[in-house]
Amino acid sequence: MITLRNLTKRFGPLTAVHDLSLEVRKGEILGFLGPNGAGKTTTIKMICGLIKPTSGIVDFHFENLETKHHRSHLGYCPQDNIFWSKLTCKEQLNLVGRLYGMDSRMIRHRSASLLTQLGLKEKETVLAKKLSGGMKRRLNICLALIHDPEILIFDEPEAGLDPQSRVQVREFIKSLSEDKTVIITTHNMDEADRLSERVAIIDAGRLIKMDTPKNLKHSIGAGDILEIGLSGKAETWESLRSNLMQTFETVTIQEQKMFIKSSRLISRIPEISKIFNDFGVPLQEITLRENTLEDVFIHLTGKALRP
Amino acid sequence: MKILSIIRKSIKEHLRSVWILLLTVLMAPFFVMLYYMINEATQTHYDIIVVNQDRGVHFEGGAFNHGAFLIDLFKGTDMDSLDLPIQLEEMEDRTLAEHRLKNKKSDALIIIPEDFSERIVALASGPSVKGVGVEFVGDLTNIYYMVCAIWSYEIIAEYVSELSGAARPVILKETPLGISAQVTDFDMWIPGILMLSIIMLMFTASIAIVTEIENGTIIRLKLSGISSLQLLSGIGLVQVLIGIIAIFLTLQVAMWFGFDYVGVLGPFILIAILTTVSIIGFSLILASVTKSANEILVVGNFPLFLFMFFSGAAFPMHAKELFTISGYGISWQSLLSPSHAVQALNKLWIMNLEFNDVVPEILALIVMSLVYFGIGIWLFQKRHLKVQ
Repeated sequence: MITLRNLTKRFGPLTAVHDLSLEVRKGEILGFLGPNGAGKTTTIKMICGLIKPTSGIVDFHFENLETKHHRSHLGYCPQDNIFWSKLTCKEQLNLVGRLYGMDSRMIRHRSASLLTQLGLKEKETVLAKKLSGGMKRRLNICLALIHDPEILIFDEPEAGLDPQSRVQVREFIKSLSEDKTVIITTHNMDEADRLSERVAIIDAGRLIKMDTPKNLKHSIGAGDILEIGLSGKAETWESLRSNLMQTFETVTIQEQKMFIKSSRLISRIPEISKIFNDFGVPLQEITLRENTLEDVFIHLTGKALRP
Repeated sequence: MKILSIIRKSIKEHLRSVWILLLTVLMAPFFVMLYYMINEATQTHYDIIVVNQDRGVHFEGGAFNHGAFLIDLFKGTDMDSLDLPIQLEEMEDRTLAEHRLKNKKSDALIIIPEDFSERIVALASGPSVKGVGVEFVGDLTNIYYMVCAIWSYEIIAEYVSELSGAARPVILKETPLGISAQVTDFDMWIPGILMLSIIMLMFTASIAIVTEIENGTIIRLKLSGISSLQLLSGIGLVQVLIGIIAIFLTLQVAMWFGFDYVGVLGPFILIAILTTVSIIGFSLILASVTKSANEILVVGNFPLFLFMFFSGAAFPMHAKELFTISGYGISWQSLLSPSHAVQALNKLWIMNLEFNDVVPEILALIVMSLVYFGIGIWLFQKRHLKVQ
């Protein structure tokens, strides 16, 4: 559906996206996962044709980025809520629909459908500036979809949403994947994990790895992760880690936290507690969980996704 | 269709920012009222004190005081078509009158001597009397005194000549240029203020454009594939409409305060539309170099100041001519499009000239509109619409 070939974008001395190549399949939800400043939004803007790549190509059905026509097949929902604050929800949709060349009947039909699906039907005659934060976000999504595009691009779609709106938006995006190709960018691994069929991990403008969330998590080994907050003398932490390494598959220390990775860890907590005791490190803040995409990110980049 | 959508959107946005719209449209009518009040307060008039010392005469069985008759004549003076705004005050004491003159309460003092009537009668009887004496007192450095002295002399000379039959060596005749004798200072201001109503569009027009940048909605417009010409034409046409409403409202208010134009409205409408287009073109330049409405309110003050005070809109201004093109004088002021419009309206409404006489101004307006629009679209495209 979309192919990025050796995409690079430089802003003066800064290389925001470096030689990025990937393929987005028709009908899938692809998540771009990476920390702030990783180059996700820059990549999205290049796909949308809002900024020009320094080098490389974006292909849509073998159509080059230089052609303007691909834009009408794209629906872009930017990170910031972008709308005309002095127009009502209905007026905004009508305006954008007209600009995409839709007729009145189609606009009415699409507007009603989108506003209902995203819980804004009752607010259709309310000025956008008077909507709540969550409603504004949902209106932003409606505006990206009014012209029924084949490819949908959501930049941090759940950012700033309350839990209720987050679920609503998530379910809506999932429902779109039945007949659309969806790209989402996020630094929220939970969002990427729940929504994406495949995840592209991006850091410092480079594609680190791309696969399904399940495969990515398995790539760093199956099992549980025990996360233990460290205190006491820092110089003993490394000796403690070396000792634990003799028994467990992976032991890492990251920002005053020790991560022990192994299978059936719950039954081995007394054993771990004893070792900590022997080294005089108090055992506190213990969290036992499954592998997450954040663990994958840490494993691949050596740093946390959200410090 | 895309342009129509932008026009509808723009109209709705303006109607929902009603205060900004009202302030823009009402600014020039407010200036009309202001200038009217200033004109009323500072209207030119000549204050003359007359001390009538004339004893009068008994002639053919009746008593005559020509000094008193002269004063009555002064009060009803109408020198041909020229109404002299003379305000006459009679006083009996010369010392008190001079005191008022010294304190700038009056511009001139005329002393009608005791033998004024007697000498007129004598002059009428035969050539033995050389003339009739009248004393003028005043500050010779005061230009108002000069005007008072010249016209008072004319009135007195005419009066004495009529009564005595003595011939006047020089008869003063004044020919007003155009319809300048019928227009007041207030009327002279109106062409400029009408253009001011259009200059005020600079803010609404540039804010309407830059808001798309500030709110990021330009991204939606870019993605929809709308061209810069379609977008700017849609926004611009609404501004033309606001401009026309503003200028006609200003004209109506001016007419309520006594202004009247001569001729037909056609050339005026053409000039108004061309000036509006040029101001929108300039607004585009302003919107291109700014990123927010706040920036426009700060940066925009400078060009507003230039257009208001250097184009002849707020007060008459004539810059030194640098060269001519087919007889049409070009100065640095010519770079400001409203200067041509003010000049054209002055020709039509003050000098009572024909449409053919303002063709150079109209051509200059068209050229300036094209120049402003060309630069504006190029800059806007480069700064805000081009894919970087």
